[in-house]
Amino acid sequence: MSDFFTVYHHLFNTFLLGSGYALSQWVVMRAGVFSVATAGLASIGAYCAAILTTKLGWPHPLSILAGTLLGTLTGLLLSVPLARLRGVFQAIATLAFVQIVVAVGLFSDSLTGGAIGLNAIPILVGTKENLLALLCTIYVLLAIGATRVGRAFEAIRQDEAVASSLGVSVTFHQSLAFGLSGAIAGLFGGLEAFQTFTLFPNTYGFGLIVAALSYVVLGGRRSVAGPIVGTAILLILPEVSRPLADYRNALYGVIMMLVIAFMPRGIVDTGLLYLRRRRLAAKAAAESRQ
Amino acid sequence: MSALVIKGVSKHFGGVAAVSDVNMEVPPGKVTGLIGPNGAGKTTLINLITGVLTVSEGSIHFGAQDITEVPAYKVARAGISRTFQNIRLLAEASVIDNVMIGFYRNEKTTTPASLLGLHSARRETAALRDRANKLLERFGMSKFADQEAGGLAYGHQRRVEMMRALASDPALILLDEPVAGMNDVEAGELGEIFRGLARNGMGVLLIEHNVRFVTTLCDFVYVLDSGRMIASGSPEQIVNDPAVITAYLGS
Repeated sequence: MSDFFTVYHHLFNTFLLGSGYALSQWVVMRAGVFSVATAGLASIGAYCAAILTTKLGWPHPLSILAGTLLGTLTGLLLSVPLARLRGVFQAIATLAFVQIVVAVGLFSDSLTGGAIGLNAIPILVGTKENLLALLCTIYVLLAIGATRVGRAFEAIRQDEAVASSLGVSVTFHQSLAFGLSGAIAGLFGGLEAFQTFTLFPNTYGFGLIVAALSYVVLGGRRSVAGPIVGTAILLILPEVSRPLADYRNALYGVIMMLVIAFMPRGIVDTGLLYLRRRRLAAKAAAESRQ
Repeated sequence: MSALVIKGVSKHFGGVAAVSDVNMEVPPGKVTGLIGPNGAGKTTLINLITGVLTVSEGSIHFGAQDITEVPAYKVARAGISRTFQNIRLLAEASVIDNVMIGFYRNEKTTTPASLLGLHSARRETAALRDRANKLLERFGMSKFADQEAGGLAYGHQRRVEMMRALASDPALILLDEPVAGMNDVEAGELGEIFRGLARNGMGVLLIEHNVRFVTTLCDFVYVLDSGRMIASGSPEQIVNDPAVITAYLGS
């Protein structure tokens, strides 16, 4: 077991961080927003935390907290102009936001180190902190799913007109979802900053957008387990079979096409739906026998 | 209980007037009918009342409250509930979840309590689930509770939509062609339910183009044609009104 962890320690941390980004992506989609802002929000959290500690000497837990808050605030601010947009237009606008964050990171050398990167960040965070952050995030998302806000999200995602005809404010809940997405992305960005030595603006660019979206689409968009399972599959597959790693992007592409074509709800949600239908069928059969 | 009062309401789409200078009143405890041929502007009027569309001219009051410029979710919170002409359910959600979202308006759980999954928030959810189950029983839909709403038969979907609207415990309910596609027996059953709601003090506005159903059920009827109110009165007055006969049968 300890051997397993020394070998796969790094992979496990990558998985924990990836799951965090996937959940940040998931929570906005849960409220019917097609945002890809997660990468930009994570970048803001990571740079905020790293700069506060390396340049101002803040203790790292405080810096991570500040990164989380700045991510939340940015998410909330972003939701104001995006409230009028829907679907693919939201995606394009948030894509532009991510590009702007990357560009600012590249050009404000004095603050972010530009393309050379922000260097010499102390390694202060490990698996324990990552795991704790992921568990807290999962708890909050499960709590939402089991109570009032989750019902509102679900109604908005499926039909905005119905939601508002029942008193659910679409604008409020989509802002809330953006804020939550920003908080989660900022938190995991801040954690990542303290375990990589160096931050590059392009770490949080188009690649992360595609990764976070893939995790959610592969795993599923309804249950909290979906994005986590999606992350696990996409990260672990190239590792367990080394030859596949060379074709990582091609492999992602093929998996995504297969899932979208044959399991549009994602692996976990399709599985849960199958189990539920079987249970209902069994119940109906039992009732008809009586 | 409050009355809905519509004064001089018009709605223009570009140069086209979908609704012009409409006056009407929907009192509590009565079933009020709104009839008119296809394209008369009935659904537009519903969308104006519920804040889905903005009014071009005129005013809409609900009790003491001016709801002319109020967005849809606040109109719902003021106590006005609606059903849709083309049934709109949360197709992927189970029947019971579809009903539970109806309770949203009167839920006490605050957003932070929901985010933190506090005991109070979970307890309220459990209580609402019980109430939803009782409602399902009343409508004879208990055995469908866990099924996906999108997979139900048409008549059952109508009932789910009705239960959802009732779950929000409205003071006024707007029913947009609730018996479309139903036979006389099914329509009659629903009609009894509507009468019962009015007896309990709820205001009911029934939009239909089936004149017979409206005249048997309503206390007062308005007739809309090409966006104008051409007649109003008791069902007997309406069916004998020459303007109404012209609108429906042609001159």
